[in-house]
Amino acid sequence: MITVRLPPSLAIDGRDTLDVADDVRSIAALIDAIDRRVPGFRALFDEGGCNFAVNEELVLHRVRDRALRPGDTVEIVPAIAGGAARLARVSPD
Amino acid sequence: MPIRDRVATLLAELPDSPQYPTQGATVFVDLERREIRQAFTPLPVVRALLGGRGANMFYLYRLLDESLEPLHPDVPLIFGSGVLTGLAPSAARGNATSWSPESGVLMDCNAGDYFPSFMKMSGIDHLVLFGRSPGWTLLHIHDGAIAFRDAAPYVGLDNIDLRERVEADFDGRWTRDLAMAAIARAGEQLVLTSAIMAGPKACYARGGPGAKLGSLGVKAIVLQGQTRDFETVYPYKAYNRTIAQKLLDTAVVKHALKVRGTPFLYKPSRILGAMGTKNNQETTWTDRLDAEHIDPYRPGMAGCFRCPVNCRPLNELGPDAPDRYGRGDGPEYVTLGKFGPNIGVDRIESVIRLNNICNDLGFDTASTGSAIAWAMELYQRGIVTTRETGGLELVWGDAALVERLLFMTSRREGFGNVIADGTRAVERGHYPPEALRYRMAVKGLMQSDPHDARILKAFALGLAVSTRGMDHLRNRVTLEINARINDDPAFKARLYGGPVSGEPNSYVDKERAVRACENTFGVGDAVGMCRFTTKLFNSPSLPGYEEFAAQIANVTGLRFEPSDLDEVGLNIMGVERLINHRLGVGRKDDTLPERWFEEPIQVGAYKGEKIDRREFDAMLSRFYALSRLNEEGVPEVAWRRQLVAMLERKPQASP
Repeated sequence: MITVRLPPSLAIDGRDTLDVADDVRSIAALIDAIDRRVPGFRALFDEGGCNFAVNEELVLHRVRDRALRPGDTVEIVPAIAGGAARLARVSPD
Repeated sequence: MPIRDRVATLLAELPDSPQYPTQGATVFVDLERREIRQAFTPLPVVRALLGGRGANMFYLYRLLDESLEPLHPDVPLIFGSGVLTGLAPSAARGNATSWSPESGVLMDCNAGDYFPSFMKMSGIDHLVLFGRSPGWTLLHIHDGAIAFRDAAPYVGLDNIDLRERVEADFDGRWTRDLAMAAIARAGEQLVLTSAIMAGPKACYARGGPGAKLGSLGVKAIVLQGQTRDFETVYPYKAYNRTIAQKLLDTAVVKHALKVRGTPFLYKPSRILGAMGTKNNQETTWTDRLDAEHIDPYRPGMAGCFRCPVNCRPLNELGPDAPDRYGRGDGPEYVTLGKFGPNIGVDRIESVIRLNNICNDLGFDTASTGSAIAWAMELYQRGIVTTRETGGLELVWGDAALVERLLFMTSRREGFGNVIADGTRAVERGHYPPEALRYRMAVKGLMQSDPHDARILKAFALGLAVSTRGMDHLRNRVTLEINARINDDPAFKARLYGGPVSGEPNSYVDKERAVRACENTFGVGDAVGMCRFTTKLFNSPSLPGYEEFAAQIANVTGLRFEPSDLDEVGLNIMGVERLINHRLGVGRKDDTLPERWFEEPIQVGAYKGEKIDRREFDAMLSRFYALSRLNEEGVPEVAWRRQLVAMLERKPQASP
C-alpha cells in the first residue's frame, strides 16, 4: 500500500490522506490511481501544478519513472511554479 | 559636474510634453532649494527601455556621479512606475533606483501596494529626488500638485503610528484616495538594511532605500487624489479581462497564491533540502513552519491596487497577544525563511511576531534577517563574543533576543549599530576580515530569499549575475522546481528559446534559462507587472511578452513585437551593467558566497551537492556570450556604443 498525502485543495471529504492499495510501482501508475479517486488530478499534474515527494524527498526529474515500493509515503506538493495550462497541447508526449 | 548642472543638461534634451497619451511626467525635485521642474521621457528611451525600472536606469545613468558616495545628496533617488502600472490587472508595481548605500552597487528595488499606481494616476511616471532638505520634509502630492510640508511632527514615528497619523492629518483613507512611501526610524537613522515602506508591509526593500530617502531629509511622500481611469489610444478594459482570467486560471495562483500566499514556497524548499538554515550551515528545517501552520492565524488575504490575485496574507495571533505586534500583514516566504530557519526559530507564532515588528520598524527583512544570522554564526564560532555584543548572547532560535535586537538596530543602539551596517560590518570595523567567509552575500547584498542554491545551478547562476546583488527576483528560473516541465524537453526548449537540461543540478545550458528569465522579468518591471504573475516566474502560462505588447499597444499606441520586448529586457540589463561598471563591478563580482563552493549539502536526495568552480566559471562565460557581454561582464563594444548613444541622446543609433 502507498500512503498519499494530499494538499488541502485536493482533500477528499476533508481527509488529507489517501491509501492506495492498487499494485502501484511507479509515480506514473500512482497518477492513474489518484486520478480515479480525485477527478482532475491528472490534469493538474499535466498542467505542471504539482510535484511529488517520496518519503520526504522531492522528485524534480524523471518523475513518472520514479519507482515506488509498498510502504512508501508520497506527498503531493503544490508546485513552486505551476499552471502550464497549454503544456499538454504543445508537448509531443 | 554638480547634480543641478546634470539635471539642467538633461532637461534641455527632454521633451516638454507627453510622447503618448498615458505618459506621465518625470518630476525633478530639488529638495534643498525646494524647486520643481518636469519633462517627459523621450520616445527612443521608451522604445529601448520602456518605463518603470527601465527608464529609471536612463535617469540614473545620466545623473549619477560615481566620484561621490551613495548617501551624498547629489546622488539622486528615482521612483518610477511602469507603462502599465495602475492600468492592467496585477500591474501595481514600481521601482526605486539609486546607488546602494548597503551594497555599493546599483540599487533598484520594487514595491506594489498602492503607491506606484497612485503615482501614475497623479500624472507622474518618474520622481527624481536630489539635494538634502534643510529640515525633515513630507512631500504632499495632491491631484498632481506638489507641496513641501514640514515633517517634524512625524519624525520618530514608525510605520503603524505614521500611517495612522497621516491618514488622520490628511483627511484621507488608505486604498481609497491616499498612498504613501515613507521611512520609519530605521530610515531616519540611516540603517543600511532599512526599507521605504509603501504600505503596512509592502516596501521598496533591497539595497538600503530607507537610508537613502532618510539621507535626503524626506520622511514621506504622500499621494492624494481620487483614483481615475486613463484616456488611452485604444480601448483596454476588455483586454484587461483577458489578462485577469489568465491570472486566475493558472494553477499556482488558484491552488497556492490565492489560498496561502507565498509561504507555500517553504515546504518544497525544505523537502528538497535547500532551505537556508542557520546562515546556510544547514539546509533543512522543521515542518512546523509549513504554510498550513499559518492557517489558524490568517483571518484573510489582501492585495495590491486592482489585483485580482490578493496573495498577501494578513495575520492575527489572537486576543492574548500582548501588544500591537499580534496582528499585521504577512509573513511572505522571504520573511518566513529569514526569521525562521535562517536564525533557528521554529515557532510560527514567533516568526509572525518578528515579521510584524520588522514591518513597523521599516526593515528589509531579507537583509536584516541575514545580518542577524551572520552575527549568530560569528558568535557560534567565537569570532564575535559578548564583549562585542554588549552582553547579548546571540544563540540560534532566541526569538526574544532577536526582537530586542531589531529595536536596537532601528535606533543604532549598542550591537544594533553593527546589525544596522548590514554587509558593511567588516568594512566599518565591527568584525574582523575573517567574518567575510561567512557572509552570505553577492556584490555586497545579502541573499534575498532563503533558498540555498547549491543544488539548482540555474538558481545559483541567477544569484551570481543579478545586477543588484544576491537576489532571486531579478532572474530566478523557478520552473526548475517543476518535474513535469523538467521532463518535457521540447516544452522547456520553447520556453527558453533553446534546450535546457532537465536535470536540476546540471550546469548544461542553464545560462539560456537565466537569460530568458532576466529579460522577461526586466520587461515585467518596466511595465509594472508583479513578478509572481509574470510568465516564467511562477508559471509558463502567466502573462508575458504577448500580453504586455498587446496592452502597451492599446494604452500607448506604441507597437512592440514580442522579440522587441525581449530586446528591451536585454537593454535594461545592459544599462544596469554599464552603471555597475562605473561603480567598479566586473566579473569578479558575478560570483557566489565561498560556502557554496566549499561546503556540500548534507541532507536529502542531493546530499554532497555544491558549486564546482570550473563548471560555474564556464557557465558564467556562456552566460556572458549569450548576453552580448564581454569577458568582464560589460556590454560588448558595438552594443555598448548603441546603448550609450541612446542614453546620451545622440541621434545616430538606437539599440
